[in-house]
Amino acid sequence: MRRLLAVSLKELRQLRRDRLTLAMMLSMPVSELLLLGYAINTDIRHIQTVVLDRDRSAASRRLVVQMQATGYYDIVGDVENYEDIARALRSGRATVGLVVPARFSSDLTRRRPVRLQLLVDGSDPQILGTAIDTATGLAAARSAELATPGLAQTHPRPASAPLSFEPIILYNPEQRTAVYIVPGLIGVLLTMTMVMLTAMALTRERERGTLEALIVSPATRLEIVGGKIAPYIAIGYGQMTLVLLAGWWFFDVPTAGSLPLLYLLAALFIAAHLALGLLFSTVARTQQQAMQMSFFFLLPNILITGFVFPFESMPLSVQHLAQALPLTHFLRVARRILLKGAHAEDMNHEIAWLAAIVAVFIAAAAVRFKKKLL
Amino acid sequence: MPDSDELVVDAQHLSRRFGAHVAVRDVSLQVRRGEIFGVLGPNGAGKSTALRMLCGVLDPTGGRAVVVGHDVAREPERVKANIGYMTQSFSLYTDLTVAENIGFYASLYGLAGAARRRRIDAVLHESELAARTGQLAGELSGGWKQRLALACATIHQPPLIFLDEPTAGVDPLSRREFWERIHGLAAAGTTVVVTTHYMDEAERCHRLAFISHGEVFDSGRPDDIVARAGLAIAEFIVDDVDQATYLLQGLPGVEECAHYGRVLRLAVHGGEPVAAARARLDRAGLAVHDMRESRATVEDAFVAMVRRERRA
Ligand SMILES: Nc1ncnc2c1ncn2[C@@H]1O[C@H](COP(=O)(O)OP(=O)(O)OP(=O)(O)O)[C@@H](O)[C@H]1O
Ligand SMILES: [Mg+2]
Repeated sequence: MRRLLAVSLKELRQLRRDRLTLAMMLSMPVSELLLLGYAINTDIRHIQTVVLDRDRSAASRRLVVQMQATGYYDIVGDVENYEDIARALRSGRATVGLVVPARFSSDLTRRRPVRLQLLVDGSDPQILGTAIDTATGLAAARSAELATPGLAQTHPRPASAPLSFEPIILYNPEQRTAVYIVPGLIGVLLTMTMVMLTAMALTRERERGTLEALIVSPATRLEIVGGKIAPYIAIGYGQMTLVLLAGWWFFDVPTAGSLPLLYLLAALFIAAHLALGLLFSTVARTQQQAMQMSFFFLLPNILITGFVFPFESMPLSVQHLAQALPLTHFLRVARRILLKGAHAEDMNHEIAWLAAIVAVFIAAAAVRFKKKLL
Repeated sequence: MPDSDELVVDAQHLSRRFGAHVAVRDVSLQVRRGEIFGVLGPNGAGKSTALRMLCGVLDPTGGRAVVVGHDVAREPERVKANIGYMTQSFSLYTDLTVAENIGFYASLYGLAGAARRRRIDAVLHESELAARTGQLAGELSGGWKQRLALACATIHQPPLIFLDEPTAGVDPLSRREFWERIHGLAAAGTTVVVTTHYMDEAERCHRLAFISHGEVFDSGRPDDIVARAGLAIAEFIVDDVDQATYLLQGLPGVEECAHYGRVLRLAVHGGEPVAAARARLDRAGLAVHDMRESRATVEDAFVAMVRRERRA
């Protein structure tokens, strides 16, 4: 234990002298959060929309105004025919074309089914989804309103609507990116720093020849590795705390669930990545290689774990692959705890996966990391 | 000189292969307590590899070694607690200060409390580093780095230390002082195994092993090795050393022909080639101002060995 502490102390001293790395590790949580929270806006609003109104009635105009009022559609112009809609979509002037059929108001008053057409530019699947969802919701709300006109005035969204397609968004009704990003960012930052720092800290010793001196000392494997990574565990928790604080300060991100539970489960997640970093260090000969391997590992973590792209929208084979990444499970854990106040028993599946991955990674690292030079 | 027959290092048929390349082949070495044992060999001969196997840092692919009474393969940690090892390249933390480096190694070797402080003070005093404790190790000059490395390697007072080319790139005065410390340690009972490329250092060792291509060629006391090489040395002082070198190279029995200024140094087997060489120079009409016989050195024996090895 004394040896382990000696290694940790040494590591901290080196870290203190390496101002740049330290500054980067501390400023990353906040800067990334601001970047992702403000700059990258994944909610889709203000979809440019052209309208082909073949009815030209008070009812149709009211519908268009209502659509604009949702905030999702910006009406950029009226057009005369389908040809115009196609041209607008091709040129990028609009993303959506709305077609109100002739006899819209008369069909409505006669309670005949009305089919509104929504022509959507499908090149951005996310826009497609939003545009259709919102329109469906609006249509549902409108039908309900028409079905019970009196009620509609006082209850805009009656629970007993006959056609209730209205998409209901729970837990983040405003669809604010920051709220969704914070739990994910904790995971991504930990993935990045834990793997990279561990891998580099050990390859640095190898590269500079100091590993040989450690190996020739009576310190055990556990003392060497444990002592080296202990400071990084502290740094990991520090980063996590910074993201949570910054999220709360800048974006009012809620913490619905138990923070101790989150910190406890983060230990599993951190352990998985420390073991992986250790494993990388047994393969990489230089710090540069260690860094490359870490980035190589980071990429799928960002792409396929559900951090940026919705998990459900990925092909099944990719979803299966993503199960092997600790971040996939930690993202769910963090989001559920922070946003929905989930308890441990709500996440048995994810916790089991995390534990299994940790066990495999540690076993692999223990097999590979010998207290030998080769 | 070693005053006991106790073997501190007993290596039997050690081998190490890296892929198809055999770096160390069937090396057997015995080192006695209190001995300064030198390992000589050209670059790539396998000196560092052999030392690493004796330290338990690298597993041998063949043979076994008993170091400070413990089998290295079976009880590597027992061995490690009782040896000091100064690696070939400077392997201290350049971003830590002198005091931090020494303190770290003291803790790493399990020293604590008053004993730790006493030992740190002692090595600081011995290495004369006391005035530089706050300096970063990376900013020390070569000689001071080497003092610091030795201080760290001996912080736990090991009975055996391995030094891998400890004086490479160090000025002559520092080298001399370093060897005085080595002799001091040996006199106090510490066994020292040291690799070197400096022949004056080789002559200061109690015993030597010549290694080439991973094999031990000869080992023993420096005098004995030189005697076994069977070389006679003759030095001619001539005007035209280049012409003389040209004439004498390749003469039967001539092992080595080198010149330093106007002095032509000839290493030969037996006595007759010297006379033959003299005759040849006279026949060519080269003025020989002086000729003297001198003692063969470890360097002569070493160069002859490596040459013979290359020819074979
Ligand atoms: N880790 C390794 N992997 C592959 N080959 C190696 C390794 N270490 C050493 N070798 C090879 O083994 C041989 C012996 O190397 P070693 O370092 O022991 O030589 P040395 O006698 O110490 O040389 P020098 O005087 O240059 O220090 C060399 O040919 C070297 O290339
Ligand atoms: Mg070497």
